[in-house]
Amino acid sequence: MRNNWAEENLHVIRVLMECSAIYRRALAPVMGVVGVTGLAAGALGAAMNLETPRLFIGYWVAVALVCLTQAFFIIRRQALKQLEPFWTPPARRVAQALAPAFFAGLVMGIVFWLVNPAEPLTLLLLVPVWMILYGLALHAAGFFMPRGFRLFGWGFIVCGLAVAAYLICVSRPDISLPNVPFANLGMGAFFGGAHTAYGLYLHFTEKRPDVA
Amino acid sequence: MNTKPFLQLDRVIHEKGRLPILSLLAASPELSFTDLRGLLNMTDGNLSMHIKTLREAGLVSVTKSFQRRRPLTTCALTPAGRKAFAAYIDLLEEIVRQARPKQ
Repeated sequence: MRNNWAEENLHVIRVLMECSAIYRRALAPVMGVVGVTGLAAGALGAAMNLETPRLFIGYWVAVALVCLTQAFFIIRRQALKQLEPFWTPPARRVAQALAPAFFAGLVMGIVFWLVNPAEPLTLLLLVPVWMILYGLALHAAGFFMPRGFRLFGWGFIVCGLAVAAYLICVSRPDISLPNVPFANLGMGAFFGGAHTAYGLYLHFTEKRPDVA
Repeated sequence: MNTKPFLQLDRVIHEKGRLPILSLLAASPELSFTDLRGLLNMTDGNLSMHIKTLREAGLVSVTKSFQRRRPLTTCALTPAGRKAFAAYIDLLEEIVRQARPKQ
């Protein structure tokens, strides 16, 4: 009986130490770079007039991959700078938390790409689906992050639901839906804008390691 | 069963509220009061009380400063605190080892 609490205490200590370790990673640069990329991608997507569903999906999956690569290199650089290993147990836990929702988002993208919907509403619904899944991914990873990160995830979930509700409510023949190029602007505003805003907030509030 | 390791456990550390504080500080050079409060979901009063106890025991040091004109309280493990925490973990491991069936 006595060893149970001892094992439990050791487990709690391990989890909290991992939690503390991941907490020290500065998120502001990641959010800022991802946000600016998202905004630029939104503007570029609208300017290029990506009208077909397959172009829209392929383009945004590519943007997501670019953002993930950027985040990877920024976090890796931080770890190298602090002379710490990159692939630590906390980093693995965060990756594991993000993976299911990211995978679901990719699969949804592939499904929509294969279906190649002719109805604008069907394609536009992919935007809130991605937002909700992204919010769920952030919330799951937020277990080892500051409370604000989980709230950021909640923001995506709530906005995604609101966008989905709006699209469903306005899907009447007498009301014209936003077109696909407009959806690029929406993606840029929701993903790029939100990340830029959060990055700025973190930039001004995140504690620097050199501040006593 | 040998109860010696159990009796040697540091009572200041071996407390539901203080052990998580020390665990977080052990993995970080320092953490602010707000960080600790957010990570542990503790109230201001509860956290202050535990930090006071740890400080009085010489396990934690508290620094008060200003960051962007706002007061900033940071906590860190003292060398004695780090040593006591390591000893506490060693004792826990010893208890777990003793309780395991011998092969």
